[in-house]
Amino acid sequence: MAKIALGCEPVVGSLTSSKKKEYRVTNRLQEGKRPLYAVAFNFIDSRYFNVFATVGGNRVTVYQCLEGGVIAVLQSYIDEDKDESFYTVSWACNIDGAPLLVAGGINGIIRVIDAGNEKIHKSFVGHGDSINEIRTQPLKPSLVVSASKDESVRLWNVHTGICILIFAGAGGHRNEVLSVDFHPSDIYRIASCGMDNTVKIWSMKEFWTYVEKSFTWTDLPSKFPTKYVQFPVFIASVHSNYVDCNRWLGDFILSKSVDNEIVLWEPKMKEHSPGEGSADVLQKYPVPECDIWFIKFSCDFHYKAAVIGNREGKIFVWDLQSSPPVLIARLSHVQSKSPIRQTAVSFDGSTILSCCEDGTIWRWDAVANS
Amino acid sequence: MPAFMASATVSAHLSDLPNYVQGSGHHNDPLNETQRSGASDDPSHGVHPSDLPDDPPKDAWRSDPDDDPPDNPLAIVLVDAKTPAALEIQAIIDVLKEQVASERTVFVKRRMEENTQKLFDVTKNLFKLSAERNPKINGTDQAVDLLAKRQKDAIDMQNGISTSSGDSDGNSPQEDGYASSAILLGSSIAVKNAVRPIKLPEVKRLPPYTTWIFLDRNQRMTEDQSVVGRRRIYYDQNGGEALICSDSEEDAIEEEDEKKEFTESEDYILRMTVKQFGFSDVILDLLAQCFSRKPDEIKARHEDLVKEGNDMGFTSNVNVDGSISSYLDKNLDAALDSFDNLFCRRCLVFDCRLHGCSQDLIFPAEKPPPSCCPDAEKDPCGANCYRLVLKLESDASIRSPGQGTSEEHLFPPSDASAQMPRRKNLGLSVKMRTKSSQSDGTSSNAKNICESSDSEIRPPIEVADAQPSSSPPKNKLVKRGGTQKRNSKRIAEHMLVSMRKRQKKMLASDSDPLESGTLGFKDLSLQSNSRKENGDESSSSLKLKSPNARRPRRISPALDNCKPLQIETSGCPPNLVMDNQPVIRKDDTSRKNDLLALGLYQHEVNDDKSWKPIEKALYEKGLEIFGRNSCLIARNLMNGLKTCSEVFLYMNSYDNKLISQSGDGANALIDGYYKVDGKETMGNGVRRRSKFLRRRGRVRRLKYTWKSAGYHSIRKRISERKDQPCRQYNPCGCQSPCGKECPCLVNGTCCEKYCGCPKSCKNRFRGCHCAKSQCRSRQCPCFAADRECDPDVCRNCWISLPCSCGDGTLGVPSQRGDNYECRNMKLLLKQQQRVLLGRSDVSGWGAFLKNNVAKHEYLGEYTGELISHREADKRGKIYDRENSSFLFNLNDQFVLDAFRKGDKLKFANHSPDPNCYAKVIMVAGDHRVGIFAKERISAGEELFYDYRYEPDRAPAWAKKPETSGFKKEDGGPSSGRAKKHT
Repeated sequence: MAKIALGCEPVVGSLTSSKKKEYRVTNRLQEGKRPLYAVAFNFIDSRYFNVFATVGGNRVTVYQCLEGGVIAVLQSYIDEDKDESFYTVSWACNIDGAPLLVAGGINGIIRVIDAGNEKIHKSFVGHGDSINEIRTQPLKPSLVVSASKDESVRLWNVHTGICILIFAGAGGHRNEVLSVDFHPSDIYRIASCGMDNTVKIWSMKEFWTYVEKSFTWTDLPSKFPTKYVQFPVFIASVHSNYVDCNRWLGDFILSKSVDNEIVLWEPKMKEHSPGEGSADVLQKYPVPECDIWFIKFSCDFHYKAAVIGNREGKIFVWDLQSSPPVLIARLSHVQSKSPIRQTAVSFDGSTILSCCEDGTIWRWDAVANS
Repeated sequence: MPAFMASATVSAHLSDLPNYVQGSGHHNDPLNETQRSGASDDPSHGVHPSDLPDDPPKDAWRSDPDDDPPDNPLAIVLVDAKTPAALEIQAIIDVLKEQVASERTVFVKRRMEENTQKLFDVTKNLFKLSAERNPKINGTDQAVDLLAKRQKDAIDMQNGISTSSGDSDGNSPQEDGYASSAILLGSSIAVKNAVRPIKLPEVKRLPPYTTWIFLDRNQRMTEDQSVVGRRRIYYDQNGGEALICSDSEEDAIEEEDEKKEFTESEDYILRMTVKQFGFSDVILDLLAQCFSRKPDEIKARHEDLVKEGNDMGFTSNVNVDGSISSYLDKNLDAALDSFDNLFCRRCLVFDCRLHGCSQDLIFPAEKPPPSCCPDAEKDPCGANCYRLVLKLESDASIRSPGQGTSEEHLFPPSDASAQMPRRKNLGLSVKMRTKSSQSDGTSSNAKNICESSDSEIRPPIEVADAQPSSSPPKNKLVKRGGTQKRNSKRIAEHMLVSMRKRQKKMLASDSDPLESGTLGFKDLSLQSNSRKENGDESSSSLKLKSPNARRPRRISPALDNCKPLQIETSGCPPNLVMDNQPVIRKDDTSRKNDLLALGLYQHEVNDDKSWKPIEKALYEKGLEIFGRNSCLIARNLMNGLKTCSEVFLYMNSYDNKLISQSGDGANALIDGYYKVDGKETMGNGVRRRSKFLRRRGRVRRLKYTWKSAGYHSIRKRISERKDQPCRQYNPCGCQSPCGKECPCLVNGTCCEKYCGCPKSCKNRFRGCHCAKSQCRSRQCPCFAADRECDPDVCRNCWISLPCSCGDGTLGVPSQRGDNYECRNMKLLLKQQQRVLLGRSDVSGWGAFLKNNVAKHEYLGEYTGELISHREADKRGKIYDRENSSFLFNLNDQFVLDAFRKGDKLKFANHSPDPNCYAKVIMVAGDHRVGIFAKERISAGEELFYDYRYEPDRAPAWAKKPETSGFKKEDGGPSSGRAKKHT
């Protein structure tokens, strides 16, 4: 990583907790022995804002957060292939509004589960290797995008089961893609990052007709003219190691490597030379003991806070809307010692869930400030 | 920038800026140190004062303004100059830095607020959408939404309401659903016992692969794809944690990187400090330290800034003017810059991925004749066509000689039809012309080349002769070597025509009293069919110009004006040129004089001041391409710049000058001219040689092969093929037959059609003359040399049109005859077999054949990225780690890597007992890898070939029990593919 030039220094947050909010553990579940890699609230459908899903091993489980720290199990799905190990899960929905769960893992097969009917909806075979992250387009929640070890990012239509676009090739990632995210308002834009230490921003604007076509496709999905998007519109080298999580924060990007921090930066593209440009690193959010890869952070619905666990089972809650960054809370529990792979924040930020390497799920609830 | 910096003293600054100064004593120096030690990329080391614990960032900027920094101890240590001045400067720099930093925080804060505002709207919209997604819950299929139901059940359960058993879903999970609703209060009840899981039926996973892009032809690696010099981090598949693997040399490369540009703030600090204290070494050092750069960098930047500052005032207007400049103001070379850089002369495409842009420009020593578009020559090309203008003039000149030259506006009404589509008015215009023409009898005589000087209509023979040429006009631009044979006759014709035109012109323009005299004579002599005279005339101009044609184009700008006729020389078929050579040499000196004189002459006489340099250059290009056809030149190159008649006038004004200057030396050329004219399309020389070769061939095939076709280097390659990788070919730019210093010779490759050297070059690969053998065996010199036949080079190998399409019509030209079809051009023609991709019976993916093929049939090409051996070694290490490699040794310079880009044949597995073999073949100057059937293969069979690992590199499974002679045992960088999927 290049040295930061004078006058472009990021504003680094202080690790002193502002104690703006306090959280307390209200529940802890042991789901199984296998590590849990992902947990996600349903932000797609307001009916299910209190419903979340976890994945670990060959299992996908759906829970509900109830009052008083109570967690109810609603559904559980098991892949018949015992060797499957799900790495990621995302909520989506059909065009008729039926809730879908999209999960993927080591087998490279994307499982689309119809949670409304409790059965498999579709399975997408196509990725050449394991799937590291799946995200749903919030504006069109039957579009999902998947990041894979096969160095590609693919855009799928869960409704018709079509692989619409493949983001890979000449300008694509040179190693596993670990994370991907849809821009919250620019429907054409996605950002992906991975083991080649880069974050790439892609635009599907020129290919949007194919996206539209995918909704009306009636022939076999395999006959769909899947297109390659070979060149990203922007490549950022903000990190010098694996970048394992990136999220849009408006037009900015939050990304983290294994350097014990989350970085907030602004992509500054050059109008006429796609692929070039510079990243202006604005803020940094330190996260101690967070130097292993595949630790993902999450945000609440309104992007007010980012929550990330670390290698030692501690959780850091950063205010995303303040400058300089403010650490809202640092959560720790004597029994929480296992690496936290992923967190989930409820719609309003009052509940934080963490899923751990040891197969436990922790629920933290905000304590009303007296 | 704030105005306060204008104040004069340090103390003034400090008092002006109490807020910013406070930290400099304590917080700022760690900054200096960390930057110096290169650790500033580590945020935890205090890039920013706000990092310090117990010091909330905001406060860091606002608190305690009294802590003045003048006696900053660290600054003294860092700066060797312990003078008060240095301290002062240091203090100022610190103040400036503080200020920059604080401005930065303000900036970031502002950006954050803006973004937050934007986000607010975004999430509001998203929330609205998420709320809209549930209207269907009231629909008829509400009961189906089990998720909603379970959700409700759980809530009911929690609230202690006994749930009504809605059996509507009628399957067992429902029961489990209730069991699952067992509330999990802060305890660790094992979840999996609570819910009966729903099974997801197994789906067979694909064999692993990396997403790859299909390539139908090789590509050269682009710079950004390189892994050399980049740090790679791998993780242990089992342990799951990362380990950094990179050679130390690579790390060093990475650190060096590019030089950072100066940021605005750095400029600002630099400017302000210098303004304050002037420019001195102390300041330089301090600034260098502050920016962690070298003092000389700072100095250079300072000079730039000063310059910029000076320019700032008055340059803006100038720049505006400059930016508007269009290509019309440039000369042709500049305007053609992007063409030269981006157009690949070997593949005839822009932005060639194989040979890259900015290739060395090779200009052939021999140029092809200009192409003629037959149908364009009959009719006026438009309202401004010289034919129409001339007609008027000639009529006029009969009545009143010496009238003005440009009379476009005097067309008779009937001529308006000329503006209509050519086909339509063909009849009409021909009629018109016959009327006006003095000797329609002669012009209709197909065989007679001579005709009335008055008829600007090309004689029919011209049209007939310029047979539809097989290469489209685009090709002609570049494919200079290709069309010569066919055009040789046309050229002869052309000379005549152009000469005729010139005479016509002279008559019409009547600008030169001297000329008019001769013209009268010529006119007469022409009518008496004096062929000799024609030859004389044309050859004189030809003669004059020929030296230019031999010059590389690039050198010519100075001579630009002297070149208009050069095409006539280049138009000569090769043997003509050869025949003429001695003559040309002889005349060398006199020619030079002529040229010089011409240049002068032109300056004096040339009244075409209105012609811009680019127009002149375009015109010359037009001559090269279209010959002396002002219609085509005007339409294709000068559109919107000059009209046909203008071009025509320009063309002829040159000729007049040329003719008046050149009197002698014509005769020698006439001989050449006649020779060509009298001959068939093919020169005698070629004929003779082929007979000779055939005779030799009967005696000893192999020897024949090598002697006749394989010149030095290729022979070497054949005989040493087993030991040496092929050599990468790069065209040479020799303008004379290649000598010892020719890069091709030095490199050990043959000269190819892309070389600049003349065809007579001894190092050229001559192709084959096979006929009946169909180039399928080593009898064919091409085949023996591992080359594909090339229709441009080989004598009998012609592209038979789509035979693979199954319509059975072979487009072999009839004169080729014999139903001969070259079988050694399959890569060139992409006549590959259909290959299918599927799960291998052995491991991972495999390639399968759709149809039956015979032995030695060409199956397809192994395509990929062309990478250097160094790059391949690096990638090989990575691939070995993943136990899958798609590297293929191509030649001494390149390795093919099909990892990310390739075709399906990359999935063909290795076998020590394969049914295919791979062969590196030279196709049109490029090495390519063809996969061929080693035996008869039936449809649906999986394809295998021997990767030919180097013995020590082969994985255990790839080793053959006994070492076969087939195996490559060379010590080359890496032979064949290293490893593949397991």
